[in-house]
Amino acid sequence: MRFAAYLGLRFVFLIPQIVLISLITFVLVRMLPGNPARMSLGPLAPESAVEALREKWLLDRPIFEQYGAWLEKAFTGDLGESWVNNTYVLDDLIQRIPVTIEIITLALILVFLFLVPLAIITASHTKNRIVRFFQNITFGYGMLAGALPDFLLGLVLIFAFFTHAGILPGPEGRLGILDFESPFVTGSVLIDSLIAGDIDNFWSGAWHLVMPVFTLAFVYGAPIFKMLRSQMEGALQADYTVYAEAVGIKPRTVFLRAARVASGPTIVITGVVVMFLLGGAVLVETVFNLTGLGQYAVQAIVTADYAPLQGFVSFAAIFTMLVYLAVDLVQFAMDPRIKAVGSR
Amino acid sequence: MWLRIKRTLRSLPKWQLGVLGIFFGILFLTIFGPYLAPFPTETADPLSRLLPPGGKHWLGTDENGMDIFSRVLAAPRTDVVIGVVATFISVVLGAPLGVLVALYESRGKAGATAFAETFMRLLEVMQSFPVFVFAMVLVAVFGGSITNIIIAIAFVNTPVFIRLVRSEVLSLVQRPFSEAARAVGNTEMRLGFRHIFPNAFPVVMVQVSVTVGFAILLTAGLSFVGAGVRPPTPELGAMIASGAKYLIIEQWWPALFPGVALGLTVFSFGIFGEILNLAMEPRAVRKDVDRRRTAALESGRGGGETAAAALPSALSAAPGGETPVLAVANLRVAVGDAGGQELISDISFSLAPGESMAIVGESGSGKSVLVKAVLQLLPYPLEVTSGTVHYGETNLVGMEKREMRKLRSREIAAILPNAKSQLNPLTTVGAMLVSALQAHEKIATKAALARAIELLEMVGITDPELRLGAYPHELSGGMAQRVCLALALMYRPRLLIADEPTAGLDVTIQRQVLDLTRNLARESGTARLVITGDFGIAAHYCDRVAVMQAGRIVEANQTQALFAEPRHPYTRHLLSCVQV
Repeated sequence: MRFAAYLGLRFVFLIPQIVLISLITFVLVRMLPGNPARMSLGPLAPESAVEALREKWLLDRPIFEQYGAWLEKAFTGDLGESWVNNTYVLDDLIQRIPVTIEIITLALILVFLFLVPLAIITASHTKNRIVRFFQNITFGYGMLAGALPDFLLGLVLIFAFFTHAGILPGPEGRLGILDFESPFVTGSVLIDSLIAGDIDNFWSGAWHLVMPVFTLAFVYGAPIFKMLRSQMEGALQADYTVYAEAVGIKPRTVFLRAARVASGPTIVITGVVVMFLLGGAVLVETVFNLTGLGQYAVQAIVTADYAPLQGFVSFAAIFTMLVYLAVDLVQFAMDPRIKAVGSR
Repeated sequence: MWLRIKRTLRSLPKWQLGVLGIFFGILFLTIFGPYLAPFPTETADPLSRLLPPGGKHWLGTDENGMDIFSRVLAAPRTDVVIGVVATFISVVLGAPLGVLVALYESRGKAGATAFAETFMRLLEVMQSFPVFVFAMVLVAVFGGSITNIIIAIAFVNTPVFIRLVRSEVLSLVQRPFSEAARAVGNTEMRLGFRHIFPNAFPVVMVQVSVTVGFAILLTAGLSFVGAGVRPPTPELGAMIASGAKYLIIEQWWPALFPGVALGLTVFSFGIFGEILNLAMEPRAVRKDVDRRRTAALESGRGGGETAAAALPSALSAAPGGETPVLAVANLRVAVGDAGGQELISDISFSLAPGESMAIVGESGSGKSVLVKAVLQLLPYPLEVTSGTVHYGETNLVGMEKREMRKLRSREIAAILPNAKSQLNPLTTVGAMLVSALQAHEKIATKAALARAIELLEMVGITDPELRLGAYPHELSGGMAQRVCLALALMYRPRLLIADEPTAGLDVTIQRQVLDLTRNLARESGTARLVITGDFGIAAHYCDRVAVMQAGRIVEANQTQALFAEPRHPYTRHLLSCVQV
């Protein structure tokens, strides 16, 4: 009941927020310099043809009318066409979103497999040698990860593991130059190659993912690590943990209950990190030549390609809003102290 | 101010001082870098392309034949200036807006609240654009001049400061000093900007140093993908981008040297922020407080000697040679590492079955440390350095944790101060009780729940079935204390240690809880050790009283005797404070 009310409230806010986001994007994108009709037809086309195209694309109309037309089409799934590549934006997005989602998801999995346990282990104050050892290592990691730009780490990795050691494939994209892509099903290299039963492609894809995913996980795992570690440290020293021990409750239960308190803020920061991962993907995709959303956006900006940019930014913003929503819902379900009204 | 800076610097580890040096070095380069460069920084020289480090060009040359060392020296002028100016603009725009929104909100008028709420939702929309992409679009729209990059980066960071300042002001406006400033007749604006904002300033400064680092990373990132500063302006991100292609063919210097410079810059700004945080926080002077406390401990020792002779007889348990429930002998507790400052010095006492004893002392006298030491719950750096704590025949000091756990609640129960903070905020009363029962016996959850209801009834909680589902924040202080009492007495333990059992409760509730504790303990023959700062409680509820000062027991006696003729000057002093 409490949950349903909260969910309803959040959805009421979500729709105007999304509409507003698309409007802001629309206005911003239309402000990009350059005349898209002229760029589409080339410098030699006659002025009259350019004018005709402007009219066809409604570029001579007031911006709100243009926006209305775009919105109407967007509801039917038509996000317009790229003027540079003459492709449908929706098709492009469907091709490229999975690439980006794949590296972001794998990076998060890496963070949760390695950094989260490490944060929990190193949170306790003890004289245990092994824990101390890990504490020293992770201290260094915390310092380093905060200062290392993601694209720089990517380049250093390429230099070390491709150029020098030759262990990992270079920045040639998702597969080797001579590999053929498996038929498109989900858009993820790993899943699609498995569906096609192409084990070689699977391993090739996996090897090509190692460096980009590691880069993202290393740089963007740091805030999650630091938050969880400090929260866990606090929870383990908190009165309620000492008291639970004094009552004689099983150590495992005491620990899990402390971890539960620590997980709240960690989930919030994870949501923020996912948003930053989307930005980080732009850089990492550029470094490793992955044909994901980030590269798409960079191209669209450089060529003043309205429709792809509009599609990308709208997707990114809606994605972010949904991540925030998910974070809030998880937090709300987990923490009874949060009231339905006046959240955040 | 200078004193605080000096003190902070002295408390820093060496490596942080080194980083601080790098930080100021980078600031120096920001101002003078371009003048120090030995080669022109923006002129291509096709004859000396991609020369490796060494000789004339210390760090080699890039694809255009420009000297990398010179460009790295000159680059902070671009990167740091963009980062600093953009952050400055974000603060100048964001902070006043944050103050205004918070002032509006704190007045609580319906219209104002709605306005603030809408404003925050709008901010949320702005912040839901991925920062990097948003900055990229802004630069693309307005053009890639340095001014426009600064504006774009300032714009994406402004909401951070609006939010931060708003939440700071909202919490500060409820503080007494704000009330006072308002009562004296300050206008809202004056209140906000003259009285409240300066108090939020430290937090803002720390965020500023974080944001500068972030803004520099953003600038470099934008330039790296070609949407920021354009070559040939010396800028680290663009330099890395131009070197990236050559990395693969073993020509690493054009990309790696600017990369190291960028990493060092961001790193040193981050460390500077942490040092700033340390300097701004009053906790930074903790070392001095410690020193003062040690001094107090030492002076306390001198006074303790006079009454020491009278102690042993009064400290031992009631006559008859019966084995005491609890016997503490020559217990010492010290900080484990760092010189080992002693918090408990040579404490001995014992407690007979069913007896009750109070330990009275001012805050900071080591009462709570004593409790934790007896319960084997000392927090990490604290350790028992010598002495024994006997429960019956067994010494608890150094006992296996697993063995100790078997005694907890069943034999030795504890009540700790501020019951509400002793209960995990995300665990219901029922879950807590059930897990406590299941930790000590094999009992099905259903049966445990039934027992839990009985226990809650025992401590006088109405509607116990309903309370099982309650979270600590839904309980009153007295109710939470009763829950803790139920947990303490669920197995009729032989020993109950209650540390400030009534802290934070109303006087009437205090009485109820104490009466209940005494009556239940008497019923089950539980010996009680009550730690309190309140002589009234000691006099009313305990057979014997021990007075603690600076980590030692200075006097102990039967309650009536102690109050009738206090022997130690400290006891007399404490009593004179009470009997007004």
